[in-house]
Amino acid sequence: MKSGVVFDIREFALHDGPGIRTTVFLKGCPLRCSWCHNPDGWIRDPQIIHGQAGDRLIGKDYTSEELAALLNEQADILRANEGGVTFSGGEPLEQAEFVTEVCDRLDNLHIVFDTSGDGTETALRLVAEKVDLFYYDLKLIDSTAHRHFTGADNAPILSNLRLLSSLGASFVIRVPLVPGVTDTDENLNAIAETVRNLPGLVRVDLLPYNRAAGGKYSNLGLKFCPLYDEQRELRLNAEPFERHRVPVRIAASDMPIRKPVPA
Amino acid sequence: MRQTSDVPLGAAEPWLVAFDTNRLDRMKSRVRDGEHKRFRKDTVPDVLSECDRDGLSWPRRAARLVRRMCEAEGQHPVIESDDRIVVLRTIRTVPPIYDPQTWSQLTKDRTLHELGPISNICANWGMVLSQGLEGRRQAAAKARESVQDDPDSLEFLDCAIETIEAVLALANSYVQEARRQGRNDLADILAHVPAHRPRCFHEALQALRILHAVVWMGGHYHVGLGRFDQYMWPYLKQDLDSGRLTLAAAEELLAEFFISLNKDSDLYPGVQQGDNGQSLMLGGTSRDGADAVNELTWMAIRVAHYTNMIDPKINLRFTPHTDLSLLTLATQLTRKGLGFPQYSNDAVIIPALVKHGYELEDARDYAVAACWEFLIPGKGMEVVNIGAVSMPAAVDAGIRKGLGQGENFEQICQRTAEDIRQQLQQLVDAYRKLFLPPAPYYSVLMDGCLERARDLSHGLKYNNFGVHGAGSANAADALAAVRRFVFEDKSVQPQELLAALEANFEGYEPFRRKLAEDGPKVGNNDAAADALMTKLFEWFADACEAIQDNGRGGRVRPGTGSAMYYVWLARGKEGMREPAVGATAEGRRKGEFLSANLAPSNNAPIRGPISVLQSFAKIPYRRVFNGGPITMELSGSVFSDAEAVGKVAMLVRTFAQLGCQQLQLNTVNLETLLDAKKHPEKHKNLIVRVWGWSGYFCELGPEYQDHVIARHIYAM
Ligand code: SF4
Repeated sequence: MKSGVVFDIREFALHDGPGIRTTVFLKGCPLRCSWCHNPDGWIRDPQIIHGQAGDRLIGKDYTSEELAALLNEQADILRANEGGVTFSGGEPLEQAEFVTEVCDRLDNLHIVFDTSGDGTETALRLVAEKVDLFYYDLKLIDSTAHRHFTGADNAPILSNLRLLSSLGASFVIRVPLVPGVTDTDENLNAIAETVRNLPGLVRVDLLPYNRAAGGKYSNLGLKFCPLYDEQRELRLNAEPFERHRVPVRIAASDMPIRKPVPA
Repeated sequence: MRQTSDVPLGAAEPWLVAFDTNRLDRMKSRVRDGEHKRFRKDTVPDVLSECDRDGLSWPRRAARLVRRMCEAEGQHPVIESDDRIVVLRTIRTVPPIYDPQTWSQLTKDRTLHELGPISNICANWGMVLSQGLEGRRQAAAKARESVQDDPDSLEFLDCAIETIEAVLALANSYVQEARRQGRNDLADILAHVPAHRPRCFHEALQALRILHAVVWMGGHYHVGLGRFDQYMWPYLKQDLDSGRLTLAAAEELLAEFFISLNKDSDLYPGVQQGDNGQSLMLGGTSRDGADAVNELTWMAIRVAHYTNMIDPKINLRFTPHTDLSLLTLATQLTRKGLGFPQYSNDAVIIPALVKHGYELEDARDYAVAACWEFLIPGKGMEVVNIGAVSMPAAVDAGIRKGLGQGENFEQICQRTAEDIRQQLQQLVDAYRKLFLPPAPYYSVLMDGCLERARDLSHGLKYNNFGVHGAGSANAADALAAVRRFVFEDKSVQPQELLAALEANFEGYEPFRRKLAEDGPKVGNNDAAADALMTKLFEWFADACEAIQDNGRGGRVRPGTGSAMYYVWLARGKEGMREPAVGATAEGRRKGEFLSANLAPSNNAPIRGPISVLQSFAKIPYRRVFNGGPITMELSGSVFSDAEAVGKVAMLVRTFAQLGCQQLQLNTVNLETLLDAKKHPEKHKNLIVRVWGWSGYFCELGPEYQDHVIARHIYAM
C-alpha cells in the first residue's frame, strides 16, 4: 500500500470546488512561484514551523487506507451537500499513485484535483481516470517569464493540459492574477487563446492577488522576496476572455473587487 | 457570459427590505448615537416610603412599584415627530420596595435567583394581545368572585388589577400627548391597545412594545419575546389579505419595532452589555404539528438584517427538512456578525421535551429563555439556569485522587461521576430554598395565573430547574489523555502527570504539548474522546434524573451551555458556588479559559466544522435537553460570495441532519482578530481566509496579520 505526506486536511473548504468539500493538501511541489502563499507545501518531508503560538510539525504520513477511512467518515455528508474531496498541494501530481489509491478507496465521492500541471504524463494519466474535475493553474504563457517567476519551464504544463483535454477530462483553468506579472493583456490574451478551443474547459477563474501571500515564510525560516511590486495596482482583467467567448469568473477575493451595492 | 462571484449572484437579493429606508436610517443612527437618552431623568420615584408608611405586603409593594413607574413615565411621554411606535423608558433605575436591612432579613435563609426578581422566562404574548388588558381585567374580576373568602388570592388579584390599570393609564398619557402634538394616528392606536385586541399589525406591535417595556419597569429582566412570528402573524396576515398593508409597509413597521427594542436595553441588567435576553423565536412547528414558517418568519430575518442591531436576538427553529432557502436567508444574517440567528433543531428538542413530561402541543410551542434554554411561553416558571456543574473540576478531582491512590481508569470514572452528582446536589440543595418574589404584573401575562388567582411566583404548569454541564470538551479531553497515555500506551507515569499538574506545567512544556496536541480530542469525530464526553453527559443526566422533586414540583434538566462559566470555572469568581479548576490533564494551564458551550477545547487541533458537528451529534440529547449550543466561529470572509453563503446554509442543515440540538454561528469580529494578534496562544484555531484557502491567523507574520485586520475593517 502507498503512503503519502499530507500537510493539512481542511474541512468545509469553500473555494475548492462545488458543494461542501474537504481538501487534502499534499506536500511537495516542483515549482517555486514567486507569489506562492503555501511554502510549507514545497518540500516533501515533514518539517517544523515556528509560529507565534509555538512550534508545529507540518506534514504527516498517511497510508491510502488511513486517509480514505478518514475521508469516508464524512462521505454521506459530503455527498448530501453536492460536494466531495479536493486534492491540492503543493503539487498533488507528485503523489499521483497515492492519490489514485485513496480515490479507489473513497466511497463514491466527487473528486477535484487542484494542480499546477507540472508533473509527468504518466502521473496525469493515472489521476485523470479517477478525477471528476480538475482545477488547473495557468500562470504565464511566455516560457521565459514562466521560468523567471516559477523556476520551471512551462512546456510540460502546456502539453499536459492538451493531454488532459484529449483524455476527455473536465477542467477549470485558474489564473492567479499577480500585479504586473500575470495580469497583463498580453499574458491573459495568450491564456485565452491557449484554452478557448480546448474540449473539456468549464471556465476560467481569475484569482486576484492577495497581499497576505508571504504570511507563512518567516515561520519556515524563509524570506519572502517577490520578484514583482506587491503594491502595484492589480488589473482585474476579464476582457481577453470575454473577447474569446471563454466563460470567466473573478473568484471570491478577500479584497472585494467591488463592494456589493445595495439596490 | 461573465459572472463575478464577489457580488451576489442573480438579481434577487432576498435579504433586502422593500421599503424606503430613509426615515428609519435616521432613527437607527439616532438610537445608535443615544440621542433618546436626553429624555432620561435622574429622579426615581420613591415607592419605598409609601410602602413602609402604609405597611404594604410584598405583593402590594410589587404592584405599587409598577404603578408608580408607569405614572412617572406617564408624566413625560416621549413622542418624537417621526415615531410610529412609542413608549420610551426615561427613568434609569427601578427603585427598591424594601430598605436594604429589611430586604436582607426577608431573604436570609432563602436562596434568591440572581438579582431576586423573576427573570429569564417568557410570557404568553399572543394570549395577552388577543384578550387585551381589558380581557385580562375581566378574567381577574371573574376569578375574584370565586375566591371571596381567600384573602391571599384576593390580594393577588387586586394587585394584578392595579398593574393593569397602571399600564392602561400609561397608554392614556401617550394618547393625551399624541393628541397634543396633533398625532391622531398614534392617539387612536393607543386609545385601543393594549386595552383591546389589536385591529391591525401596527396596533399589535404598539401593544407589544408597551406591555413588554412595563415588565422591565417592575424589576424583571431577561424578558423573552417568544414565538413572535406565530402570535403576530394573524394580525399581519389580516392586513396583507385585506390590502391594508403592503409587504413593504409591514416591513417598515416591524423594523421600527425592532429598533425600539434597542432604546432602553442599556438600562437592563445583564452580565455584559447586550446580554439582555430579548430573545425572539421564529419558525419551527406549530402546536398542531404543521410547518409554522410563514411570511413573517422571512420578514423578521430580512428586517433584522436591515436593522443590524443587537436586539432582538433572533432564534430560528427548524428541522432537517426545512427549505434550504430559509437557511440561506438566515445565513445572510449570520454574515452581519451579530452572532445570530441561533438555530434550534425541532426534530431533537420536541421529542426530548415530550419524554420529560411536556405535553406534545406545548413541546411544539417552545421558545428560548435569554440565551438558549427551552421553555414554553406562558406555561413555564422554570429556573433554567440555577448554575453549572464543572465537568473539568469533576474530572480533575477524579484524576488527581485516583492516580494518587494508584487506581485504574474505571475507578477514576466512578470518582468523576460521583463528583458530578455531588456538585449537582449542592446546587439543587441551595435552590430548595429558592424564593421568588411576587410578580403581579408578569402574572397577568401568563396562562392561568389570574384564572387560578395565584401569582406566577407560586409556579406554572412547568416548574423545572436547569443546570448546565460546562467545559465538557476540556473534561473529556483530559479523561481521554489519561486513558491513552497513562493506561493504554503507558507513555506517561501517573506521578509525572500529577507533578506536572501541580507545577502548572512549569518545566514540563514538551510534556504539556504532548497532552495538548497528541491526545484524542473532542471535535475531531474521534471515537475515543467523544465516547468519554458522552459518558460525562450520561453521568450528569443520571444525577439529574435521580432528583425526583426540585422543591417546586419540578425536575432538574441537564444542559450543555456554559454562559460565562467558561471563564468563571477556569478563574474563579467571588460568591460562586461552583469549584474553580487549576491546570488540567488535557494540557491546559491554570487560568486558561475552558471551551464555551459545546466547542472543542480552545487549543485542540481540529480539522474543521463537519467533524465538530459529528462529535457533538453524539451527545444523548434526549436526556440532556436544557439547551446550550454548539458554538462555532467562522471568519467573516467565508461569506465572500453567494455560493459560499449557500454552503454555510448547507452546514446549518447538516447540523440538523446529524441530530444536533442547537447551534450558534459567530462571524469572527475585529476584536477577536486584534486579541489574537496580542494573545496568539488563545486563538490557535482562528482561521482566516487568504487567497482562496484559509490559514491559521496565528501562523501569519505580524505584518500579514495587520493586513488581514485591515482587510477585515474594509470588508465591513
Ligand atoms: S505551484 Fe502552487 S504550491 Fe507550488 S510553488 Fe506554485 S503556488 Fe506554490
